[in-house]
Amino acid sequence: MNGKTADVGTPQAKTGAAMVLGGGIGGMEAALSLAESGIKVYLVEGKPSIGGVMSQLDKTFPTNDCAMCTMAPRLVAIGRHKDIEILSMTDVETLEGGPGHFTATLRKRSRFIDEGKCTGCGTCVANCPTRNKVQPLPATAVEVEPRFRDKAREIVERNRGRKGLLMPILQEVNSAFNYLPEDVLSFVSRETGYPLSHIYKVATFYGAFSTVPRGKHLVSVCMGTACYVKGGERLLEKFSDRLEVKVDGTTRDMKFTLKSARCIGCCGLAPAVMIDNVVYGRLSVGDVPKILDKYKGA
Amino acid sequence: MPGLSYDGFDKKREEARREISRRDDSFRGRITVHMGTCGIAAGAREVLSSFKEELGKDDIRDVRLSTSGCAGMCSKEPMVTVESAGGPIVLYGDITPDKAVRILKDHVQGGNPVREYALGVGPELAGIPFFRKQKTIVLRNRGVIDPDSLDECIARDGYSALEKVLRGMKPEDVIEEIKMSGLRGRGGAGFPTGRKWEACRAEENTPKYLIGNCDEGDPGAYMDRSIFESDPHAVIEGMTIAAYAVGASHGYFYIRTEYPLAIRSADNAISQAREHGLLGSDILGSGFGFDIEIREGSGAFVCGEESSLIHSIEGVSPEPRQRPPFPVQVGIWGCPTVINNVETLATVPAILLHGADWFSGIGTKTSKGTKIFSLVGAINNTGLIEVPMGITLREVIYEIGGGIQGNRKFKAVQTGGPSGGCLPESMLDLPVDYESLREAGSMMGSGGMIVIGEDSCMVDIAKFFVQFTNDESCGKCVTCRDGSDAMLEVLTRITQGEGRQGDMEFLEDLCLAVKDASMCGLGTTIPNPVLSTMKYFREEYEAHIAGKKCPALACRSLIRYHILPEKCSGCRLCLKNCPVGAIAGELKHIHVIDQSKCTKCGVCLEVCPPKVLAVVKVSGDDIGKLHVLEKPVPVETFREKH
Repeated sequence: MNGKTADVGTPQAKTGAAMVLGGGIGGMEAALSLAESGIKVYLVEGKPSIGGVMSQLDKTFPTNDCAMCTMAPRLVAIGRHKDIEILSMTDVETLEGGPGHFTATLRKRSRFIDEGKCTGCGTCVANCPTRNKVQPLPATAVEVEPRFRDKAREIVERNRGRKGLLMPILQEVNSAFNYLPEDVLSFVSRETGYPLSHIYKVATFYGAFSTVPRGKHLVSVCMGTACYVKGGERLLEKFSDRLEVKVDGTTRDMKFTLKSARCIGCCGLAPAVMIDNVVYGRLSVGDVPKILDKYKGA
Repeated sequence: MPGLSYDGFDKKREEARREISRRDDSFRGRITVHMGTCGIAAGAREVLSSFKEELGKDDIRDVRLSTSGCAGMCSKEPMVTVESAGGPIVLYGDITPDKAVRILKDHVQGGNPVREYALGVGPELAGIPFFRKQKTIVLRNRGVIDPDSLDECIARDGYSALEKVLRGMKPEDVIEEIKMSGLRGRGGAGFPTGRKWEACRAEENTPKYLIGNCDEGDPGAYMDRSIFESDPHAVIEGMTIAAYAVGASHGYFYIRTEYPLAIRSADNAISQAREHGLLGSDILGSGFGFDIEIREGSGAFVCGEESSLIHSIEGVSPEPRQRPPFPVQVGIWGCPTVINNVETLATVPAILLHGADWFSGIGTKTSKGTKIFSLVGAINNTGLIEVPMGITLREVIYEIGGGIQGNRKFKAVQTGGPSGGCLPESMLDLPVDYESLREAGSMMGSGGMIVIGEDSCMVDIAKFFVQFTNDESCGKCVTCRDGSDAMLEVLTRITQGEGRQGDMEFLEDLCLAVKDASMCGLGTTIPNPVLSTMKYFREEYEAHIAGKKCPALACRSLIRYHILPEKCSGCRLCLKNCPVGAIAGELKHIHVIDQSKCTKCGVCLEVCPPKVLAVVKVSGDDIGKLHVLEKPVPVETFREKH
């Protein structure tokens, strides 16, 4: 293809389109933000595929976040977005004009494949005599632990067909099993069509979800402002001391998980603690053993 | 059951009123236990069962026992209201099951109110300082009606505004009325509600959606929870009117998962409204259809931000997005969406019933009507208050709040949650409205008002808020994610006594950068607590950095616990209570704290008898002035020497 011209905005049509140069993580995010704002985006990348350097990294500085977890949902979103056109193996030859009215001349290098016809079946890779053979992963069957199986299916079935079903499903799974078991998430992914990377991104975003098993009782010590100025921190210490776990930890007998909560909305009775759905207010450090004793038997 | 028509609704209202007055007449007394989350936490359930048990034991049938939402005065929970036939209404506070038995015997059966437990009797109630300055519009039904009873709500004009709107007002008239009333968003930013509705109505895309935002994440604010717990129908009615005005057909309540009682109450109210044709495909026979669905949050503060909230319901990662397009243009499922705070929605019916003029007659020039605040922290009367805009902070804190707890001194009041700021004593005469709070470096926010006493350190408070927002930052913008990290690092350093010269200047620069370059409301307001504390409490920062001293004696790294040898009586109380065994001594010997073991938990100070008061906290240069003993010596030997 020779000298494809992308007319990015003309004086007549001010809204026009935008061109993002470089399909790394920054370019991908920019393209998505622009497209979300209702602008047509041309995402230009010199390499055969978008993803850039981040796709080669395990973790990113400085937060040690998993690189793929940041990137994969965006890759999927870009691929699916109707307003983003990816121009891979493409270079910018000239760029003229000014803000609001650029004209760019792009050169798209050949892949020796007609992209309009290719269905991505991969037969060419498998049959190429000069390359190492790429083994596509077999579609894995999802094996859900027997103790989760029926309930997980019931939850998914109950929400099927509902708009925005992912959050209600995750909430119900989380409250049924006290955490989000990995195999159940895979099951949810298969049943709902949400990629597992997307489900993990959502699941790890919220404080109420946990991807590791939690104790039978969830002790949330409120650290809202009112509780903080009234000594919530010392209450948390006492619970941690008494239960012999750190914050976010679970006791060995799987009975209690200790958490520091954002405001539980009981500021008038600060400092307050919520255990499961019961709120205890106006506490002092001395009340902690008494409260925990209530849960000893159960 | 078929839904009500207009006439059917009128009839139902009449019937409900008649029925309730007949019911009240048929009982000798009525006991209402206030069962909001706060009340239950303080022991209202036990009080209720004590009443039940006593009534059952003596087989008393002519006393009606009912429950209702919170009465507002959290510091006096559990509360009980008692009306006896012919007698005055009495509000009791701090009730225990034992006190309940006495109230039943003396007041309900004997006719003599128990004065010593009463907060007020009959007309006195309105005169109690806590209630006197309040003006209840949104909270008019709090503690009065049973939130689970649609009849009680309708008898007190519930859904009357909706009927009026559907019967005789065009959507444009409704929007005009709301615009005239000057109602602004109660969630924090204060955007004029009428203009938001108008913008959504003008959109051509359909369907349109409404979202009631009850993701009340601001620590220290709980009015939205209380509204749902005491008068859920007001929110449903307000939302239905809003839907009619903008032309929406479906709505969501987004409620925090931390509010189980509010969720239950809202859910129950929605089913009742559906059953009576007040929600559904043909509301009151008008042909207008609207329904509401509840969606729960899952513990992410950023979801209170509108675009993030939309993402959360849609089931995508709840990060905010760039605007425009605004949600009124492109909102949930890509359709025009109005997001209103539930307090805003609960205000709407009152405005339409009483008129825009009535509403705009209350408040200041730019901020109309009333606002609910949660008055909490180091204050005597904590609770939810609804006051006219323009009231001064001094009136709120000293008259309604009854001053600072324990005769301590006032230091600051924090408004607007983690996005707001701390205002010092010199700002107490500030009228409370959107503009003046913003000018002073704070903001209205959702209405949390946390009073801070002299024993809290302002650097520590700033650190607390940055820690909060740092935890809750979604991580999309670098300035918010890493800027708050850097802020937290510097603030932590300062509170640990490792502050350096230049730290404050650095903080200021950093704050401005974060403010400028972050995208959503969370990031742009992270610096507010830091900037406002640096502005009004600069000397505290300086004391920490230059003098290595925490004037409020709150920062653990900078304080030291010490036993004054001239006061210690050698009673061994502190020694026995010290969790780490850092105190040495024996009976009749002056005790000594081993600073290398001390974790500064403060137990020794708490247990030291009030007559002795030998344990003190000191900080900074005062540490050098202490008379430190090497090891315990007998009290008598020491006294003889000195």
